[in-house]
Parts: sequence; structure tokens; C-alpha cells
Amino acid sequence: MTLDSDQLAQATYGEVFGHAYEKRLSTQISARLVRDANGLRLENADGETLYAGPPSNVERISGGPSLLSFGAQWTFDTEDAKGAELLIGRAKDGWLSDLETWHPRLLIVIAACLLGVFAIWKWGLDLLVWGAILLTPPAIVTAIDAGNLGAMDRILMDPTELSQADKDMVRDVFEDVRAHAPEAPYGEYTLYFRKADFIGPNAFALPGGTVVVTDALVEEFPDQDILAGILGHELAHVSERHSLHQLYRSLSIYVLVAMIAGDVGPVLEDVLLEGSALASLSYSRKHESEADVIGIETSHAAGYDPAALAEFFETLSEDFGDTGSNDWLSTHPSNADRIRIIKDLAAKQ
Amino acid sequence: MSEDQTFQVQFKGNAQTYFGIWIVNLLLSLVTLGIYSAWAKVRTKKYFAQNTVIDGRRFDYHARGMQIFLGRVVVAIAYIVLQLVVTIAPIVGIVLFVLFFFAVPELINRSVAFNARMTSFSGVRFGFTKSYWRAFLVYLLYPILSVLTLYLTLPLVSRAQHRYYISRHRFGTSQFGFESKIGTFYKAFGLALAWMFGLILVGAIAVGLPSAVVDVYMAEGQGREPALFSLISLGTMFVILLLAVLPAGYIYQAFLRNAVYAGMSVEGGHSFESKVRPLKLIWIAFSNAIVVSLTIGLMHPWARVRMARYMASCTYVTVHGSIDGIVGEEQDKVSAIGDAFTDFEGIDVDFGL
Repeated sequence: MTLDSDQLAQATYGEVFGHAYEKRLSTQISARLVRDANGLRLENADGETLYAGPPSNVERISGGPSLLSFGAQWTFDTEDAKGAELLIGRAKDGWLSDLETWHPRLLIVIAACLLGVFAIWKWGLDLLVWGAILLTPPAIVTAIDAGNLGAMDRILMDPTELSQADKDMVRDVFEDVRAHAPEAPYGEYTLYFRKADFIGPNAFALPGGTVVVTDALVEEFPDQDILAGILGHELAHVSERHSLHQLYRSLSIYVLVAMIAGDVGPVLEDVLLEGSALASLSYSRKHESEADVIGIETSHAAGYDPAALAEFFETLSEDFGDTGSNDWLSTHPSNADRIRIIKDLAAKQ
Repeated sequence: MSEDQTFQVQFKGNAQTYFGIWIVNLLLSLVTLGIYSAWAKVRTKKYFAQNTVIDGRRFDYHARGMQIFLGRVVVAIAYIVLQLVVTIAPIVGIVLFVLFFFAVPELINRSVAFNARMTSFSGVRFGFTKSYWRAFLVYLLYPILSVLTLYLTLPLVSRAQHRYYISRHRFGTSQFGFESKIGTFYKAFGLALAWMFGLILVGAIAVGLPSAVVDVYMAEGQGREPALFSLISLGTMFVILLLAVLPAGYIYQAFLRNAVYAGMSVEGGHSFESKVRPLKLIWIAFSNAIVVSLTIGLMHPWARVRMARYMASCTYVTVHGSIDGIVGEEQDKVSAIGDAFTDFEGIDVDFGL
């Protein structure tokens, strides 16, 4: 194709009119670009040659002027983009201008865009997240644990006030569960006790394998089967790298939207951001359900009764009320849903 | 010959061609997971610059896609590192944020300088003279102080920002100037506030807001349903609030732009005029937003071209003598890091109209 237009250009005699500018000077000179038996050259209105020879650069955005550079000294622009194309051949990125032309073909481009958004949302983000996780050195994940635990100890949590007997009991359960949990991806699972009243009876895991159990949890649910279920759930968050997934996913979305924001315009940018916030909540609910499933398998394998976890959620619902339906705006599935699924799974074990 | 000639700015782009550019940009950005967006930005900016014409001379934008891309890579890595540090060591993270805060004026300066350097008109590039502490004052300190004065000094801040931005620009070697009385800035601010509070006051009286509120509270006390009329008037008041608050921003913007252009000049006796009409601007902005929302964004190119065309048609340049003969300056190298930063943060430092 390049060959064709080159030949066409070499064969075509003609002229186009426009304006020439000398380097670093605003003076506008009426000029014409002409090709005849003497070759291609840029001439001013008096017929004096400003430059002879082919342009060093050709640029054209669809629907706009042709902008040509001649050597280091001259630029020439013309509205007659078609004429210029006949004289000098196509710009290097001519295929892009072709694609951009107002044509029914653009409907395919629109469809491809919608498909692209869907594909990125469905697979592209997972791809980016997995890439980032593979690139993350284990030392950084371990450092995330140490940094976060240290910060929470300073600001939010107090040392445990549990009795030694209670701690030994939980530690025994933890050892059993750990022995049957999927392998820890970044260093061994480690158990910590903390008094943290602001989160009530609870347990949480950090990505590197740190598991924190609150005093309130052990005091209110001293049942080994329940504790095994909860610990199994937390270890599953670690082994499946759930927090890293969420961290990288939100970072990827932020960077992606920030980069195309200038192009999609303000309205669509808001739609994308709101949509991805909702999507990340559904992602978080998916992780909780996944951790429930793996946790049940683990606690069952360790010899505990997995159905006990359902009891835990029933008591939570009675004491604190269910947070409501399984709606779009929750980070966790509703307790009712979790109880039902846990009972189903436990029955199958 | 040194007669004055006035030219209206023309925007020659149209919605059809820009639509093609826009949708192809979007597709290529998507399939490259955002990488092409740097080249897309260049193409869009070139399209708008090359189609903006004064006296038959056009603007142009000269940044290269690779340049923008590298700037974005640097900024993206910096953001990710910052995020990781905050997660790993929150205390160190806070220190880094303080350092980052003090880097903001320099980043904004670099972005403004980059955009000026990459923009040309009639074959001659623009330029910008940076000052870290002036930028620190007008972009960080003054806005923070104006909060303490309940935003009453906002017009002063706005004038200081425009003076810094405009009078440090140059076209080739010709310096821009900016001289404006504070009264015109307060007038823009005052008219916007007057619209807002005036409409709220008139609206509240017209819908009988006080009696509606009293009725709803009484009903609550007596355990009966409030009168339907009261609920309708509360709902109407909500719509009036939207009509009062949102357009106020555009009213401010319109009068501000007119004031800024009136105060702007270029060495050699060239001056500017802007005749944006607030009601027309509100109409274009609102109808644009509605049309774009209804078409899930597909009409964005049309809306953008429509706004660009209106803005250009409201802008006049009076040239003393001729635009010919203005000399450009040697170009030294600039990096696109500041530009990538303002892109990420959504700060608009565009040079142009």
C-alpha cells in the first residue's frame, strides 16, 4: 500500500496552496507546494523556492489540515489535505486516519469498545492483579504484616487479658487447623491475641499469615468447633491471597481510569468509578464466601464440627441483628446466606 | 502600519471527525490496557489545537506520545510505591505525604511549563517562567487561608492564581501581561452568590417552605400523615436548590473568564476580549450533560466540540499591527512528569482558550 501511494505521488504533478512558516518566526508566508518536471518544492507567492525536495515529516489528524516539515527551517500547512496527499503520498499513520473516518465501520469500533470494557472487567484486571502478585517479593508481604500489626498495636489495640488456659486452648485449635490448612504462601501462619473492643468478637488475617483473635471472641465463643471454623476462614483469606488481590485490583482500576479519564469525559468517568466501587464490593463478598468454603473443609479435616460456624453467625444475628439483605453495598454476604451455605456444606462433609 | 485589527477565534473541528478520533482512541486504549492513552491524549490535543484558528493561523500541540507515556510510567510507579509504603510502614508513609505536599507546586509548575512549551501558535512556541514559592503561595497557601475567611477572599485567590499563570507565560519572546481590578473578580463572585441565594429565597417563599416545614413537624407530633401539598412543596424546593447551586458555578466561570481575558495582554499591544454569556453557558453545559448521560457517553465528542465552538466564538483578539514578526526562542528539554501528575490528579492546567 505504501508502495502504491509512493508511486502515485511520484507520478502526480500539481500544486496545493497554504502557508509556510520559517523556524521560530510567527510570520505567515503565502506559499504553494508544487511538483512538476523539476521535482517537488515549496515556493513563496513570488515564485521563489524556499525548499526543494521531499518533506521530512508529514502529519495529519482526520478532518484537520496537513502539516509538513521541510528540513529544519520550514513548515507548511494546508487545508487541502487531499491535494497534499496526492503530491507527497500518505502520512505514516494513514491507517489510523482511515479508521477514524466517519463511516458505518465505526459501529464495529463502538461494539469493540463495549466488548473491551467487558473483557477488561472480566479478565484484564485479573491478569494485571496476578502479574502484580507474581512480581511482589515475599519480603514486602511480610513487611506489610509487621507494619500493620505495629501500627494497630500503637493506635487501636491493647495487649490481651485472656487467661493462660484460654490462650492454650485456642492455640491447640490453631495448631490443628494450621496442620490441615492450604499451604501459607508467604511464611508460616502465626497467631496473636489482642484486646480490640472496637471490632467486638472477631478475628482477622493479614496477607503474610498473621492471624489476630480478639479477647471478646474467645470470651463469648469458647467453643472449639466455632473457633476452628473461624480460624479456618481466616487462614483461607491468607492462602488465597485475598487482601493482595483487593489491593492490586483497586490500584489497577484507579490507574486505568485515571489514564483514560481525559478521553471518556467527566460523565463516563463517574460511571466507571462508581461501577468499579460496586464491583469491588461484590469481589469482597466473593472472597468471604470462598473463605467460608475453604475454612469449612479445613476445620472438618482437622476433626472439628464445621456446622458450628453456622451457630456463630446465628448468635451474631441475634445479638447484633443481621446487617440485612445480601445487597450491593455490603462487603460481606448476609449472615442468613452464610448460615444456609455453611449448613449445606457441613452436611456434605 | 500599526492599526488595530480584531479577530474572532474560530474552532473548525466538527463532531463527526472528533467522534472517530475519540472512539478509536478509546478502543486502542482499552486493548492496550491503558498504554495507548498517552498517544490518544496527544492526538486529541493536536486535533483541538490544529482546529483552533485566529486570523488564518493555527495552534498546534507538539508533545510526542512516548514522552507522555514515560512521564505516566514514572508517576504510576511513584504512586504504587507510595501506596505500598503507606501499607507497610504508615509512619514513614505520613512523612512521605508531607514531602509530597511540598512537591506539589513544583509538579504543577512543570506541568504548566510543559504544556506551554508543547503548544505553538503561528509556528512559534509558548513558554512559562516558573517560581516555586509563588506557586506554593497561589496554589496551596492562599486557598487554605481562604477557607479560614469562609471563602470571602476567594476572588483574591483567583486573581493571584491568574496573575501568576498568565503573566509568566510568553509567546515566543513576547511576554504576557495581566492587570485586573479586584472589583471585577468580586463582581463575578457576587453575581454567582446572588443567583444562588436569590433563587433559594424566592423559591422558598414561592413554594411556601416555612408553612410546609411546620406542617410536616406538626404532623409528626400529632401522629398524622403530613398534607400532600407540604410534601410537594418540599420536593419542589429540592429541585430549586439544584437550580440554584449548580448554575452558580457556571455564572462564576463565565464572568471570571470575561474578566480574565479583559485583563490579559501580550507585549506589543495585543489584547483580548471574552464575551461569554452566563445563561448561554448554563444552557450548553446542562444540555450537554443530559445528552451525554442519556447516550452512555457516546455523545461526549459532540458535547465537547459544541462547547469548544461556543467558547471560541466568544473570544476575540485585538492585534496591534500584525502577528507576523514575533520571534521564538531556543527550546531546552522538558520532561512530562509534571504533566502526568496533573493528568492523574485531574488538575486542569491546559494552555489555551
